[in-house]
Amino acid sequence: MTSGEVRVRLFAGLREEAGWQERSLVHQNGMTATAVWTLLNLGGTTPPATVRVAINHEFAALNTPLANGDEVAFLPPISGG
Amino acid sequence: MDVELLAAPFNPLASLAAWQAGLRNGPAAIAAAEAHFIGRVRPVASDGAPLEALEIEHYPGMSERRIAAISQTLAHQHGVAAVLVRHRVGRIKPGEPIVVVAVAADRRGPALRCCQELLETLKHEAPFWKREWVNGCGQWVAGNTPL
Repeated sequence: MTSGEVRVRLFAGLREEAGWQERSLVHQNGMTATAVWTLLNLGGTTPPATVRVAINHEFAALNTPLANGDEVAFLPPISGG
Repeated sequence: MDVELLAAPFNPLASLAAWQAGLRNGPAAIAAAEAHFIGRVRPVASDGAPLEALEIEHYPGMSERRIAAISQTLAHQHGVAAVLVRHRVGRIKPGEPIVVVAVAADRRGPALRCCQELLETLKHEAPFWKREWVNGCGQWVAGNTPL
C-alpha cells in the first residue's frame, strides 16, 4: 500500500456478501470508517449496529478519523472460543 | 502470557504439560492452584444436524494481539501468576480441541474466576468467526453458545 491510502478489510459473512476481502482507497482528510462504508457501497450509509470497526488492529469508533496508511476492518458479530 | 493460535490439530494435555514445565522454572513456580478449560467441537450444528466440520476464520495480527491484551488485563485484575491460551483456527472436526485456557494462581478462587472470565471475554472480544459445515454447505454462526 502506498502513502496516502487507507486499506479496507472485510471478514467472514461481510466479505462473502461484498465479494472482496481487501481494497485500498485514497485517503481524504476527515475520512472515517462510516465514510469508507458508504464509499464502498457496503449497504446503506452506516454499518449495521452488529458490525464492529477496527483501526490498525484495535477496536475503534465509527467516527474516528483515519490517517494515511491506516488499516480499517469491518467485523461481523464475533463467535470465538 | 503464553498465547498461540494453531492451524493444525493439537494435543491439549501436551500443551498443558509444556506450560506447567515452564512454570516450574519461573516466578510462577510458587502458584499452588491451577484452573484448566478444554473446549471441543460439538458433533452437531446449531440446528441439530450432524456437523461435518467447524471452520474458524480470524483476523491475523489482531486476534493474537487481542488475546494477549485480554490475558494481561485479566491476569492483573485477578492477581494470577500465569496464563496459557491455545486457540485453533481453520477447519476442525467434531471432537477435536478448539481452545485451551489455563491459569495458575496462589489460590483456587482467582485461578477459577480468571479462567472463566478469560474464556468468556475472548469469545466476545477477539476477532474469530465460526462457520458450521453440514453436507458440504457452510453457514456462519451468529453469536456464541450459552454459558
